[in-house]
Amino acid sequence: MAFLLRRLGFYFGAFFVAITLNFLIPRLMPGDPATRILLSLRGKLRPDQIDAIRKTYGFSGSLWDQYLQYLWRLAHFDFGISTVNFPEPTASLLFYAAGWTLVLVGAATTLSFGIGITMGIWSAWRRGGFFDTFFTPINVMLNAFTPAVVALLLWYAFTMQWPIFPLGRAHEMNLTPGFNLETLLSVAWHAVLPVASIVIVSFGAWHLGMRNTMINLLNEDFVLLAKAKGLSDRRIRNRYVARNAILPQITSLALSIGFVLGGAFITEVVFNYPGLGKFTLNAIQTRDYSFIQAQLILLTMSVLVANLASDVLNVILDPRLRSAGRA
Amino acid sequence: MSDAPLVEVRNLTVDYVGANTVSRAVNGIDFDIRPGEAFGLAGESGCGKSTVAFALARLTRLPGLVSGGAVRFMGEDVLSFSAERLRRYRWSEVSFVFQSAMNALNPVIKVSEQIEDAILAHRPKASRAETLARAAELFELVGISPRRLDDYPHQFSGGMRQRICIAMALALEPKLIIMDEPTTALDVVVQRDIIEQICELKARFGFSVLFITHDLGLMIEFCDRIGVMYAGELVEVAPAGAILTAPQHPYTRALGRSFPPLSGPRVRLEGIAGSPPSLSALPEGCRFSPRCGEAIPVCMRLAPELRPTPATGGEAACHLLS
Repeated sequence: MAFLLRRLGFYFGAFFVAITLNFLIPRLMPGDPATRILLSLRGKLRPDQIDAIRKTYGFSGSLWDQYLQYLWRLAHFDFGISTVNFPEPTASLLFYAAGWTLVLVGAATTLSFGIGITMGIWSAWRRGGFFDTFFTPINVMLNAFTPAVVALLLWYAFTMQWPIFPLGRAHEMNLTPGFNLETLLSVAWHAVLPVASIVIVSFGAWHLGMRNTMINLLNEDFVLLAKAKGLSDRRIRNRYVARNAILPQITSLALSIGFVLGGAFITEVVFNYPGLGKFTLNAIQTRDYSFIQAQLILLTMSVLVANLASDVLNVILDPRLRSAGRA
Repeated sequence: MSDAPLVEVRNLTVDYVGANTVSRAVNGIDFDIRPGEAFGLAGESGCGKSTVAFALARLTRLPGLVSGGAVRFMGEDVLSFSAERLRRYRWSEVSFVFQSAMNALNPVIKVSEQIEDAILAHRPKASRAETLARAAELFELVGISPRRLDDYPHQFSGGMRQRICIAMALALEPKLIIMDEPTTALDVVVQRDIIEQICELKARFGFSVLFITHDLGLMIEFCDRIGVMYAGELVEVAPAGAILTAPQHPYTRALGRSFPPLSGPRVRLEGIAGSPPSLSALPEGCRFSPRCGEAIPVCMRLAPELRPTPATGGEAACHLLS
């Protein structure tokens, strides 16, 4: 427990630093967004209108006042008003987009981790066998691609050349929303290509990571002893080797979340999928300042949450960490 | 000890196979282990002691390869066992205690499960209550409170972990327990406790032990008979006492002189000059001849064979004895 509390404290500190930087950086740059809007309107505004715009963006008063106001708004998930989809609050746009990105990232991570780990176990167990010698080099190669390349290839192949999969949107337009089978199937069908683009480039890393850790563990005494005990191959492989080899992979899982998010952003743009990536690109193109700022905070948070989740998982799976906290 | 031997090792040969090279780690050795006997294998690091031990349960791992000879357990040819027969043979007939108690237990699962899965692998129909009761019983045998069954390996001291390993080795009441340097990683006091414990359990359950250590003093105390290995060959086999009082082979004598006596006057210890030969560049004739103070010309030409030594009732391989 103490271990987790320490980590929690660390993440909280990191989060605080991140949101403070997020506050400071735009204010250290010349020309705040309010001024930009004012300039683009070429001085056609009355002073009280100017004041109102500054207030809307939180750029009025002293720096300290602005900071307190910023924190207050953040605590209430108030990220201001979107300028592009005026007067939609940025928060509701953000959470809508984040929901779809979560679908992509969640599905892609689960699939690539599951596929990669399973392949890693098999190829380490029969090291030098057909499976290992066939798939290991292929996965090394796939791992070297970027999601952008694969997404473009899939996009061209399966929406243009052979239009099997839909392009754009996360589900059919004329659906009764909610958790019914039809909606879920439609969502899954629309997510196939974006998810595949991420999975194809990322499962190889899990395969190689798991394979190498497994191979190192095969020489451990406790694995030899398990064999000497007359345990079945399956039990030795799963309960003795893989069970230990999975631990470092879970740590890497948290580190990989940034990569997966980056991949998701690009594939969303390619497939016109209504996630954070597409909205962020829009926001950048249209200078929707509050959205950019809000999604940065969200990304920071999601990386921290992923790390925390991997810490919790590690504590659950590794008894040594549990008592490290006790000591 | 007139009964048939429990284990017969005949002309056992183990090679380590490299890309272009073959190193003979064990070169045709013969010995028996009798029921209820503690047989020791002594020798310097790398002489093949552990390689022999692993070969007895066919646990030799690549690049190691048993390339010749026979291992018979109660008359059955272990080297020709089917995979399933081998799996059943392991642990229920021959179990192991390794040197590194630190690494011999799976760090992420409870010690109770590690004992229970050994039982379940051989008695698949045993219920959870039965296996747990057996694990508790085994813990008590080695003097650890069964309350600690649900703990993980890192929560035990090195000595306790080794006791757990011994408890685990006893789980199926095997006829032979192979102990590969069981006390080397422990401090002297704990070493003493563990050895006493093993003696007690051995007296109670009557299993045989193949005991491997480079600590000759400890071995003489614990074992009934000792085989001395040098560069992959047995150079002398004799009752433990005779190894101490009447060593026949020059190497055995040299080995004895390099350990301090536990009592008596202080003596100057002598090491053995030189180091064991590389397995890929073995000397002609007797493998010990380059380091042997008593070597005669024939030693450099002809490899000696094990011959009975009437003085000890054992065997030794040395030209000086014929």
